Amino acid sequence: MGSLSWRQFKAILRKDIVMELRTREMLTSMGLYAILTMVVYQIALVEAGEGLDVRLVMPGLIWVAFIFMSMLGLNRSFVHEKDQGCLDALLLAPIDRPVIFLAKFAGNLLFLLVVEALTLPVFAFLFLQGRAGFGGPLWMVALVLVGASIGISGIGTLLATISVNTTGKDIMLAVLFVPLQYPLLRAAVGATFAAVIGGPDATASFWNWMGWIAGFDIIMVLAAFGLYEFVIEA
Amino acid sequence: MKRGYLAEVMLVLGAVLTTAAFLMTFFWAPPSVYPDGRVDFAQKIFYFHVPVAEASFLVFFFTAFYGVRFLMTKRKEFDVKARIATEVTLFFVLLTMATGILWTRVEWNVWWQWEPRLTTYFIMTLLVIGYFVLRNSVEDEERRATYAAAFGILAFIDAPISFFITRVVQSTHPVVFKSGGLEPPMLVTFIVGQIGMLMLGYAFYQLRLKEEELKERLEALKIGLGG
Repeated sequence: MGSLSWRQFKAILRKDIVMELRTREMLTSMGLYAILTMVVYQIALVEAGEGLDVRLVMPGLIWVAFIFMSMLGLNRSFVHEKDQGCLDALLLAPIDRPVIFLAKFAGNLLFLLVVEALTLPVFAFLFLQGRAGFGGPLWMVALVLVGASIGISGIGTLLATISVNTTGKDIMLAVLFVPLQYPLLRAAVGATFAAVIGGPDATASFWNWMGWIAGFDIIMVLAAFGLYEFVIEA
Repeated sequence: MKRGYLAEVMLVLGAVLTTAAFLMTFFWAPPSVYPDGRVDFAQKIFYFHVPVAEASFLVFFFTAFYGVRFLMTKRKEFDVKARIATEVTLFFVLLTMATGILWTRVEWNVWWQWEPRLTTYFIMTLLVIGYFVLRNSVEDEERRATYAAAFGILAFIDAPISFFITRVVQSTHPVVFKSGGLEPPMLVTFIVGQIGMLMLGYAFYQLRLKEEELKERLEALKIGLGG
């Protein structure tokens, strides 16, 4: 990437960040959504009582919250572009299409990671207090979050660009997004579980799942990157 | 040989071979037995289930292949081909699901189990259905074709990853070609069924394509006649 592309990348990313800081629309809607999901979890788990080891279901629960939360954010990030004609302007500007993809991808990844980093402690605060805490080191959880969020935002950026131009919009994103993300989610839940349980066996399993996440990220984000040029110009 | 003619020959040959495989399944291939000596009659569905499943993967390849061709050339014919390949995939996928579910009911006593290969197949079904949902919600023709091509390619890359990731955990689904293989009559029956099914897949694809081309010619004629 030449220095011009790098400046363009920064400009688009900066635009997204500035807009977010002014409206705070994505972060508040995603954060609120995550909190509301936890209220629903409380209801879902209430009959299971105190005997339930929350750590066993926690990895699944947080990724359910994150996957739906990310769809909300991805949709927002492109509805803006479309409604305000910003995407057309971006396409008119002499910017390489891959730069647009990378900038939007970086922005979505950033917002997703911020909300995840904010909601995960809330989850721990609400559900894990007084029970056995994390078995493994916290950096493991952080690593899963980063690894899986790369895949989510990479494919999500492509699919949201598609879905924003369809009649179904939000539901269309879900229909395309969830099945495609299946392997990533499976690995993310596996890795999070290993990180939460801890121990030498879990560490081996953790790196195994992280390998899957890395492989998925590389293959699928590259594919999304390659296809983006066609999709955005259609 | 003209293409349309070949498709019809394949249709007849495929029908003959799959019927032959069906008869061989019940009258020639020896029954599979459990380790304790009981006859495993439900195994017979294998001669139908596996050929259909493999045909579905093979045809799905053409969704991605013609998707790439479309993106490279922007020619409408490749979009039509990709769409028809996906239609045939959907047909085979649904047959695989139906026969698989029947088998799990008999063998595992449940209609459904979140077992790796079933899960993968369920995901693949959703991807193929998603492909058509996507097509139906885009108005503009070229945009629809581009989106469908992009999604078809992604789905085709994704399906094998789902397949392998679910195998990380222990599977109860039988792995046919690893566990000592099949007796010759069983293998022959299977191969006849497999070849027949692939011929049928080819014939369905070509005949649907022909139908589509005729439809287009008819439309063009109608416009030409001023109606």
